[in-house]
Amino acid sequence: MFLSLSFDIAAIGPGTEPIADFRERVARIGAARPDFVILAGEGEGGAFVPPSLEALVDCAWITGKLTDSCVVAGLPALHSVPFHVARALSAIDFLSGGRSGWMAIAGGAERFDAAYGQDLATAAPDEQAARHDDFIRATQALWDSWDDDALIIDKAAGRYLDSGKVRRVDYRGPHYRTMGPLNAARPPQGYPVLVRDGDGMPTSGIVADVVIGELGSLDAAAEPIKLAKVDSSDSERIDAAKAAVSQGRIAGLHLEGPNALAALESLRDGQSSIVEGKRARPALGLAHPANSYREGALS
Amino acid sequence: MTNSANGKIHLWAFLQGIGFFPGGWRDEKAQPSRVFERSYYEDIARMVEAACFDAIVFGDQLQGRDAAGRTPERLAIPTLDPFTLLSVMGGVTERVGLVATVSTTYAEPGEVAAKFAALNYLSDGRAGWNIVTTAHPNSAWNFGEPELLEKALRYKRAAGFVDATEHVWKQAVGEAGGAFANEWFAFDAARGTPTAPQGRPAIVQAGQSEDGRDFAASCAEAVFCPAPTIEAGQEFRNDIRARAAAKGRDPDGLIIMPGLAFVLGDTEDEARAKHARMLDFADDGLCIEYLSESIGYDLTRHAPDGPIPIEDICASCEFPAGMIRAMLQPSVDAGKTLVEHCRDYATKPRGHNIFVGTPEQMAEMMATWVDAGACDGFTLQPGFMPAELEIFCEKVVPILQEKGVLRRAYQGPTLREHLGLSGAPW
Repeated sequence: MFLSLSFDIAAIGPGTEPIADFRERVARIGAARPDFVILAGEGEGGAFVPPSLEALVDCAWITGKLTDSCVVAGLPALHSVPFHVARALSAIDFLSGGRSGWMAIAGGAERFDAAYGQDLATAAPDEQAARHDDFIRATQALWDSWDDDALIIDKAAGRYLDSGKVRRVDYRGPHYRTMGPLNAARPPQGYPVLVRDGDGMPTSGIVADVVIGELGSLDAAAEPIKLAKVDSSDSERIDAAKAAVSQGRIAGLHLEGPNALAALESLRDGQSSIVEGKRARPALGLAHPANSYREGALS
Repeated sequence: MTNSANGKIHLWAFLQGIGFFPGGWRDEKAQPSRVFERSYYEDIARMVEAACFDAIVFGDQLQGRDAAGRTPERLAIPTLDPFTLLSVMGGVTERVGLVATVSTTYAEPGEVAAKFAALNYLSDGRAGWNIVTTAHPNSAWNFGEPELLEKALRYKRAAGFVDATEHVWKQAVGEAGGAFANEWFAFDAARGTPTAPQGRPAIVQAGQSEDGRDFAASCAEAVFCPAPTIEAGQEFRNDIRARAAAKGRDPDGLIIMPGLAFVLGDTEDEARAKHARMLDFADDGLCIEYLSESIGYDLTRHAPDGPIPIEDICASCEFPAGMIRAMLQPSVDAGKTLVEHCRDYATKPRGHNIFVGTPEQMAEMMATWVDAGACDGFTLQPGFMPAELEIFCEKVVPILQEKGVLRRAYQGPTLREHLGLSGAPW
């Protein structure tokens, strides 16, 4: 049974959470070994919102402390830039030994409109979903500008990489255009683990690796790993979700609410599926993503 | 900064890639595979902190390193995201500063402000921002733009960008309201960010042009520049200080940190032999790729021993043709072959001072430069990593400390304090 919880700084602005308290909470989560830590906040109605502490910088730091988890950076779905995201997650995936993940979050978009002087959250739902999907595909295309085996690093022969395995992808979608190649190699996992908020973007055409949603909605989801959102102070909900795991309907629980960490500690019945030094995808039973831009690939 | 307790020489470790020399990755002591591993960055961060450097700095680009679509095969060009590397390095250190190079041309102020606020928070006040405006034409294509913004406009945008980020950080401590507007940016509410000891990142700038110098004099607290000679350093430092004073700033409120590449040996002969080896690693194939990358034109399709194909290059190179023609014409006029020109180009990378000698000589040279007012310290660019930086920390640092010009312990917790600046920016 996979266990997941969200994590963010407790307070920002003049009342910012003291860094010592933040580090203590991280150490406690690390000791409890959740399979997934989602760097995101909990919004109204159960949907995720991007975290107050910027997710990519936090993800780089925190993967060094949460060594037995897949750490998922929660990014604003409409306001993120594919090149910057692809770049950062490549480095994070390398430096975490292949334990990174990402989630394009629909919630909280009004806050980013206000902060960036943009007007994206007012678009029709279909239009927002198209932008969300385009962001994900553009980012993945940039990762595909390098083949998995492009690096050679042969000192004696003086060959650092294989030029035939790095390319411009010239991605052109409805909202994003990006040429590539990325100035960063394909992540060790191919793509970091993609997580979708089941309460996020209903008309998205993307099938992620993991979906986190209401228990009742998950039977219809196409993702290979399904986690049920449960209020961690509601023992009946927890029991219902555990029963669904035993029946094989879902793979685990995403614990919500102020008691999430305590619930995680009491539910953790053994090892995390993720172990330091091993990549998350094989540990979670997820395939290595094919590279559709690879020479000779079927497209 | 003549605070004697703080030491008068400032040291930064500039760690982009695998070192200064394009062929350095081939040295037996180089560790090119480890730049993809967390432990490599953690080890270096601890070492640099033990040597009391002000800061670790990573450069950055926003484009692949390809020339007209072909990525060089013989150049080691890992350019991992600076925020990621510095966040990892901050996770295992308590004092050393963390300076990320971030462009103002292809990002939103709210996003950049949030990233620096996160780095500053997680490191407890050690973040620095090396502001660049992006000069490579291909960068635009990665962000869906047809072409790069013209240079003077890029600097105007940068000034507006810095003001906007400053607003976000001030807002976090209650020193500013929510809404902001200037010529370039307008938003209704700052993206909320955490606060941290030094308030905002220390501001670093690296431009050398008129626009760049003026921008540095306006807002930078430290300036990274090339200075191949002591006179060049003096000219640059005097100029920046005069410009800052003319803008009503205290010239002591910013430090000048020229690049200093180095190759060290226990004897001069040993150092010279090592330097020669660094240059030899840059074989003809590498030299041709190195120039290809620098001009945005794939020269590997031309005969190395033939003439420099200047007309072909100028017809389709990705950088402005006039600039490239001016750069190549002297070699064309001298009748150099393509590979001869490329060899010359690759042995003198990027106009920085290259020191070759013993640790004692290097320490002496550094003290001389600072005493002569040519700089306030150095942005060290090891010949290759990590071995040359290890030698510096092990052998040059104790000599500098013995001379009383380098601190033996950090005087305060924040990067601003290492730089000799007052504790809070506002």
